[in-house]
Amino acid sequence: MKTNVSPRMLILCLDDEPAVLDALVRDLAPFEDYFQIETVSTIAEARQQLESATQEGGQLALALCDHLLQGETGTDFLVNLHQEPAHASARKVLITAQAGLGDTIRALNHARLDYYIAKPWEPEALRAVVRDQLTTYVVKMNINPLPFLPILDRAQLSEAILQKNLMTDA
Amino acid sequence: MLIPLPGLPPAGQVTLGIFLMAALFWIKEPIPIYATSLLVILSQCFLLSAHSPLVKWGGFPYPPADAPSAASFTGILANPTIILFLGGFMLAAGAVQFSAEKNLVRVLLAPFGSKPSRLIFGVLLSTALLSAFMSNTATTAMMITMVVPLFASLKAEDPLRTALALAIPLGANLGGIATPIGTPSNAIAVAALAEAGKPISFAVWMAIGFPIVLVSLAAGWVLLLKLFPPMATEVKIDVAGRFDRSPKAIAFYGVAVLTILGWATESLHGIKSGTIAFIPIALLPAFGIIGREQIRGLSWEVLWLVAGGLSLGNSLRDTGLADWVIAGVPWEALPILAIYLLFLILGVALSTFLSNTVTAAILVPVAITLGSTDALPEGGFVFLAAALAMATSFGMSLPISTPPNAIAISTGVVETRHMIRLGILMGVIGVPVILLAARFLWPMIL
Repeated sequence: MKTNVSPRMLILCLDDEPAVLDALVRDLAPFEDYFQIETVSTIAEARQQLESATQEGGQLALALCDHLLQGETGTDFLVNLHQEPAHASARKVLITAQAGLGDTIRALNHARLDYYIAKPWEPEALRAVVRDQLTTYVVKMNINPLPFLPILDRAQLSEAILQKNLMTDA
Repeated sequence: MLIPLPGLPPAGQVTLGIFLMAALFWIKEPIPIYATSLLVILSQCFLLSAHSPLVKWGGFPYPPADAPSAASFTGILANPTIILFLGGFMLAAGAVQFSAEKNLVRVLLAPFGSKPSRLIFGVLLSTALLSAFMSNTATTAMMITMVVPLFASLKAEDPLRTALALAIPLGANLGGIATPIGTPSNAIAVAALAEAGKPISFAVWMAIGFPIVLVSLAAGWVLLLKLFPPMATEVKIDVAGRFDRSPKAIAFYGVAVLTILGWATESLHGIKSGTIAFIPIALLPAFGIIGREQIRGLSWEVLWLVAGGLSLGNSLRDTGLADWVIAGVPWEALPILAIYLLFLILGVALSTFLSNTVTAAILVPVAITLGSTDALPEGGFVFLAAALAMATSFGMSLPISTPPNAIAISTGVVETRHMIRLGILMGVIGVPVILLAARFLWPMIL
C-alpha cells in the first residue's frame, strides 16, 4: 500500500504590522510541521509568494488577511483571489479590527469569506478556526487526509474517509 | 519467452512472463496495484486467448485455436465472487447513508459498560463484527470517529489511548477473516477454490473463520491490556442508538437482513451467495437508497484488483505453469506441517509488506496446485488455500501493512514501535491458531 504525498500547502498571513504577523506565526506554530506558513505585508508581496509557491507545486489552503493595509485593503485581495481558479477554493479568513459593514458584506458576497476574526484574538480560538478551515479544505479538495490526522480534526477527516470511500482494503 | 524452458508448454511460458511482470509491478508499485491487475487481463486477452492477434496478424502458430476465448478473461470481472463482493459494497454504502453502522456499534458497545478493560474488548469485538461485512478500512475510519472523542476525557499519558487506537485496526484486520466478503484476500481463495471445483459457501467460510477471529481477538485483548495497562478507571461513552426510522432506512434494513440471512442459509435453499448478492445490487438502486453518486463511489478498483489476481491464477493453473513451478520441490518428502508452516509464514511475512490481496493472488494458486500432488491428502488444498488467505490478514506489524494500520498511525496516538510490537506478537499467535483450527476444527466442518 502506498499513500500519496500531498503537495505543499500554504497558509498565507497578510498584515502590514510586523507585530501582528509575529503573533500569528507564534499562535499557529503547531501547524508548522504540516503546512507552510508565509507572512507578507503587502498585496504585491502576497502575489509574489503565491506565484513562487504555485510554481513549486504548492497550493494555497488558507489566507488570513487584515482588512486595512497601507493604501489597499485585504478584502480586495480576497475578492481577487476568489476570481482566480487556482485559488478560488482556498479558505479565506478576515482578521481585523476596522472593517466596516460595507467591506464585510463585500467580503462575504464576493470573496465567499469563510470566517471573520475580530482583533485582538484568543490564541486558542484562532487555532480552532484555523484547524476547522484547514480540515474543510482537505475534505473538500479530496486531499489524502492521513498526513493531517494528527493536527486537524480527526473525527471529521475519518468521516470523510468513510463517506467518500477515500481508502480501500487491498 | 526466448529461453526454452524444458517441460513448460508455450502457453505456460507466456503466462510465466505475465506472472513475472505482474509480481514485479505489484511489489514495486510503479503503477497502482489495480492497474497491474487490469494489465494482466489485457495481456491474457492478447497473448493467451484464441482471439489473440498474434495468430491472425503475426502469423504465429500460437495460441492454438482451442485456447480460452478473450471473453473468458474479461468475464472474470463479473465472476460470482466479484459479484458477491459488489453486493457487500452495496450494503456498506447503504449502511453509511443511514449511519446504520454507527448505531450498530453503539448497540454492540452498550453491554461492555465503561470499565476500560471491558471497553477495549467491546471496541475489538464490534470493530471485528462490522469489518466482517464492511471493508476493514471503512470500519476503521468509522470507529476512529466514534472513539477519538473519548480521548478528550483521558490524560495524554494514559496508555488506554494507545490501547484503544490499536484495538481498532487490530479488530478490523482480524474481523476481515470472518466472512468471504470480509477482505479481498478471502475472495481470492473463495473464487480460486470455486474454479478448482471446491466451492466454499458463505456459511462454511464463517464457520471456519469466526473461531479464528474470536480466539485471536481474545489474545489481542490480553496483549493490549498487558502492553498498555489503562490508568483511567472509567470512560464515558455514548451508547444510545439512534436508528433512522424513515421508510427508506427500514427498506434498507430489510434488504440487509434478507441478504445476510440468505448468505448464511445457503445450505437450506441452495441459492449461491453470488446470486444472493444480487438482491442488494438490484434492490438498493430500485428503492432509491443507492443513487448514481453512491454507485460511482463504490471501490471498483478493489474488484478489478481481485479479478486480475484471480485471472492470473486461472492461467497459472490452466497453462501448466503452476505444476511446472511446484515440480521443482520434492513436496511429497515434506511433512504436511512443514508445508503449512511454509505457506502461512510466507503469507504473514509477505502481506506485512505487500497488499494482502496481492499476497493471496501470488500464493493461493500455488497452494491449490499442491492438490494435484501427493503432498497433501485428498482435498487438502482447500484447507491450505483458506488457511493461507486468512494468514495474510495477520500481516499487520507495520503502518504500511494494511490501510487500517495507516489510519491508526496517522491519528498520532499510536507510535510505530507500539504497532510493530503488537503486530509481530499477533503474527506469532495467528499462525498456530490457524494451524490448530485447520488440524482439529475444520475437518468437522469442511
